[in-house]
Amino acid sequence: MILRNWLAMVLLLSPAPRYTTALWPIPSSLSRGATAVKLSSVFDIHIDISSPPADLVAAVSRTRSRITTDRFQRLVIGRSTTDISSISSARTLTSLSLALHPGSLVRSIADETNQPITSRSEVYSLAITGDRPSAILIANSTLGLFRGLATFEQLWYDLNGTKYLLDGGIDIVDQPAFPYRGFSFDTSRNFYPVADILRTIDAMSWVKLSILYWHVIDSQSFPLHVEAYPELAEKGAYSAEEIYSQNDIRTIVQYANERGVDVVMELDSPGHTTAIGAAHPELIACAAKSPWASYASEPPAGQLRIASPATVEFAKTLFDSVASVLPSKMMSSGGDEVNLPCWEEDEETETDLAERNITIADALNDFVQAVQGVITSHGKTPFIKSDMVLTHNVPVVNDTVVVVWQTSEDAVSVAERNLRFIHQPSNYFYLDCGAGEWLGNDVLGNSWCDPFKTWQRAYSFDPLANLTEDQHHLVLGGQMPIWSEQSSPENLDPIIWPRLAVAAEVFWTGATLPDGSPRLGPNATSGRNALARLNELRYRLVDRGVSAIALQPKWCVLRPGECDLDS
Amino acid sequence: MKLLALVSLFAAVYSPVAALWPQPRTINTGNNTLRLAPNFQIIVSGHGVPSDVQAAVGRTQSYLAKDKLARLVVGRGASDAKSFAQAKTLSKLTVSLEKGAAWKPITSEAQKAPADRDEAYHLTVPADGSAATLTANSTLGLLRGLTTFGQLWYAYDGTTYAIETPVTIEDSPAYPYRGFMLDTARNFFPVADIKRTLDAMSWVKLNQFHWHVVDSQSFPLEIPGFTDLAAKGAYSSSQVYSPSDVQDIVAYAGARGIDVMVEIDTPGHTAIIAEAHPDFVACPGATPWGTYANEPPAGQLRLANSTVTNYIADLFTAASELFPSTLFSTGGDELNTACYDIDEPTQAALNATGSTLEQALDQFTQVTHKALEVKGKTPAVWEEMVLVHNVTISKESPVLVWISSENVKAVAEKGFKIIHAASDYFYLDCGHGAWVGDFPTGNSWCDPFKSWQLSYSFNPTANLTTDEAALILGGQHLLWAEQSGPENLDDTIWPRAASSAELFWTGPGGNISTALPRLHDVSYRFRTRGVKTISLQPEWCALRPGACDLTA
Repeated sequence: MILRNWLAMVLLLSPAPRYTTALWPIPSSLSRGATAVKLSSVFDIHIDISSPPADLVAAVSRTRSRITTDRFQRLVIGRSTTDISSISSARTLTSLSLALHPGSLVRSIADETNQPITSRSEVYSLAITGDRPSAILIANSTLGLFRGLATFEQLWYDLNGTKYLLDGGIDIVDQPAFPYRGFSFDTSRNFYPVADILRTIDAMSWVKLSILYWHVIDSQSFPLHVEAYPELAEKGAYSAEEIYSQNDIRTIVQYANERGVDVVMELDSPGHTTAIGAAHPELIACAAKSPWASYASEPPAGQLRIASPATVEFAKTLFDSVASVLPSKMMSSGGDEVNLPCWEEDEETETDLAERNITIADALNDFVQAVQGVITSHGKTPFIKSDMVLTHNVPVVNDTVVVVWQTSEDAVSVAERNLRFIHQPSNYFYLDCGAGEWLGNDVLGNSWCDPFKTWQRAYSFDPLANLTEDQHHLVLGGQMPIWSEQSSPENLDPIIWPRLAVAAEVFWTGATLPDGSPRLGPNATSGRNALARLNELRYRLVDRGVSAIALQPKWCVLRPGECDLDS
Repeated sequence: MKLLALVSLFAAVYSPVAALWPQPRTINTGNNTLRLAPNFQIIVSGHGVPSDVQAAVGRTQSYLAKDKLARLVVGRGASDAKSFAQAKTLSKLTVSLEKGAAWKPITSEAQKAPADRDEAYHLTVPADGSAATLTANSTLGLLRGLTTFGQLWYAYDGTTYAIETPVTIEDSPAYPYRGFMLDTARNFFPVADIKRTLDAMSWVKLNQFHWHVVDSQSFPLEIPGFTDLAAKGAYSSSQVYSPSDVQDIVAYAGARGIDVMVEIDTPGHTAIIAEAHPDFVACPGATPWGTYANEPPAGQLRLANSTVTNYIADLFTAASELFPSTLFSTGGDELNTACYDIDEPTQAALNATGSTLEQALDQFTQVTHKALEVKGKTPAVWEEMVLVHNVTISKESPVLVWISSENVKAVAEKGFKIIHAASDYFYLDCGHGAWVGDFPTGNSWCDPFKSWQLSYSFNPTANLTTDEAALILGGQHLLWAEQSGPENLDDTIWPRAASSAELFWTGPGGNISTALPRLHDVSYRFRTRGVKTISLQPEWCALRPGACDLTA
């Protein structure tokens, strides 16, 4: 009894740090009032743009529909019924008006999404004053408006069909800290149907992620239809049903672009290419050579015979064929984990090297130069994996973007070479770690990147750590990857959500929260706050059909802070 | 002794059939392909065949028609087309009981005490097209045989076929208790999710659903006469298991050869009871919770109060009527003494009777267990009740060893029957970070993740004498649901829980390399039946057994 009173006192006395509406990612500038606002039964969204692009009209329509169909109730004890009296006296919002700042170009969301990464405008401002019947969303671009719609959708709670919020008087001016906020998706180790990719893109757009980095092929399977080489998928895919056709690719790219998600495709090479050998065995060194561990980082062994001019020509045609069907201004040639013994023990490669009187390092340089040349010839910025630069010292095109993956500590080394980069460190962001060994006959084996990367771990990442101020401009952003050795459609949603949303906030808000406080840290109230907001996002994702995992028992979710370690 | 003989027999004839999980204890196979006739029929011969047997036959027929599992080889069965083109056709499986055995529902056979369950069966599938036969001493054995039969078949290009026929199987489980535990209190799972899980359990011959239905966070079980507990303690009115839901689940399980052991964990893990009965719970919501409970919220039954004790005895009596099982778990884990130290009513009650807390716990346990025994139930308890506390527990009570597999020996030395549930081998929730808030560097308490390989390597009789080994009833995987919900149920459980299904059916010592292709097989079959198992490997590896071994 005494305890209970004491507890109640503490709760009364403690400041109320919690946000009633839990936006994710948290906007860069946010003020809110205390006026309850509900949506009118005739609430509508107006686009004050003459001849608005079709994908903006469609986005508005989706927002309107989701606001209607979302049944998400506020996460407090008693859920939304707690708010009955507030709702009954709430002001009514009858409309949301979308407008562009005077002088802004009117382009489709897809066009804006495919602008060069550093020249996109995602800034928007959103005002729900609480005393005016109309809310206003303004931006410099349709992409900014789209980001604002994602925010607007997250504001509302449901009670028996009434949509309401409690902190009207909302003023948001928002823009991302980094333009590149991605998800890297491996569709080769195991295959994912188009529907799974589209659902993932939808969820990505809800948290303002901007890039789908599509690791489409690898040594295990080649599910990508390539116009110049249809035999690659015909023979290298797991089955005829497990191929992304030209039509599928168009569908995915268009779907993504209309949702503010740019599709950056990676054709990982010259390693991770064994599956090409199913159609073209002549192109692959050390194909399925055993023991695989001597010749590859995972089975099956095999990589392109880069010393052979014919192979280089093949790669150029491959990149050209794929690049020409993708609207993105970015494309990746991968380049991780090449294995030197594979080439050293390959007679054809050794013969080619001898005939041309070059070393394997020369051949690797030539290969990268050749594929980067094709990528740039299509007006695209080439991406490359960090070990190509840091381990193999391969010269790359100046504006190359390096994918830093082995460890977060490599970011500094890449910055010292004055190369732009994105963060994808395995020690913070790999979604596949910690689920045990997938290799056979290894009873007590763990995943190579143990332990599991918790949302808290990822959330603690500082994109500017150890960088000097004049290196900050080199950071384009970052991404979480799912490598699919132990994943497939069956666990896609639970393995990526809501953890992937953490990267969305890290790269939207930058090194700190908008008020300058650390995102997580000892005694940081921000950490508790983040958990409450992330719990809300998770319940919203589930409400919309994305099977995100529970972060806590529901008892805790309804009582923010009460399940903290020291509470 | 019998066990040892069977294990060595198993080793002698060990030749894994690609498709079967758990591996039968004795099996002989040939090299012929056999097609399933389009008009294939399962004929049950006998009078008064129970309806749940007929239903099991119907499900088997349906799986045969719908599985359409392509064999996990490169080409997915294309290479088999030649051999099955010339293969004989099987048009009939006859199912019958051994002479003298009586037709009783699968449900009633499954709900017998573990030691009384008869799951043995004999299955013969000739390669010459003559009828296959399945016989057993009980309908439960027939169900196990039908499950095996259903796993033999692949599909390619419209043909359903088996390889490695003729097949002769003489099979029975090494252990009578092969379970799976689900916690439905930390997060709620709808009935449909539980039913799907029961189906999947039956496909690998698991026979015990241990239902940890309530806990400190929520009370989703509606018990007649005690409905205020769920009315006030469930997460919401739609997150309640009504008596008809329970009946539905118990019947669904029974028809699939699964007994439901409910657990109403006491006297700890009961904070939620305070929602309806604040006077019954000591230290409710006390902070810091870390001092008064293993997880928030703090609060446990005022066990020194005879009103509370009698209330729980009555609650057990009422709950026991919902569950026909002979087993009923009263829990007993993680009792926190600090909670009672600060609870004035408990201290007053102890002072009034001059009892120690341990004596009060003993009294509480005796009274509540007695209530169950009167109803013909055997109470099961978590290990602390025999290792930590000085409490009178019947030697009939199975003890669930969970804290560490190393505690098995101590429980065995005290002569208790044992169910393996060790957190260091069988906890499915480990390895996903801390769920308590404001703890950024935290890991799950039972780190790391328990891989299927680890649980498969478990030895149920490690360090035990022959007499002690005889106390082992079996074991189970467990899912505590702090970080789980319907969203990740399938992929968190499956196919990992299948590894203990084989461990406790076939016995220990299985070869991990030959197990992997079979586990892939059963996992892919689960998917064809709508259960979302995780991938154990890239499909490239699944199609090439051994090629992705560490040293291949």
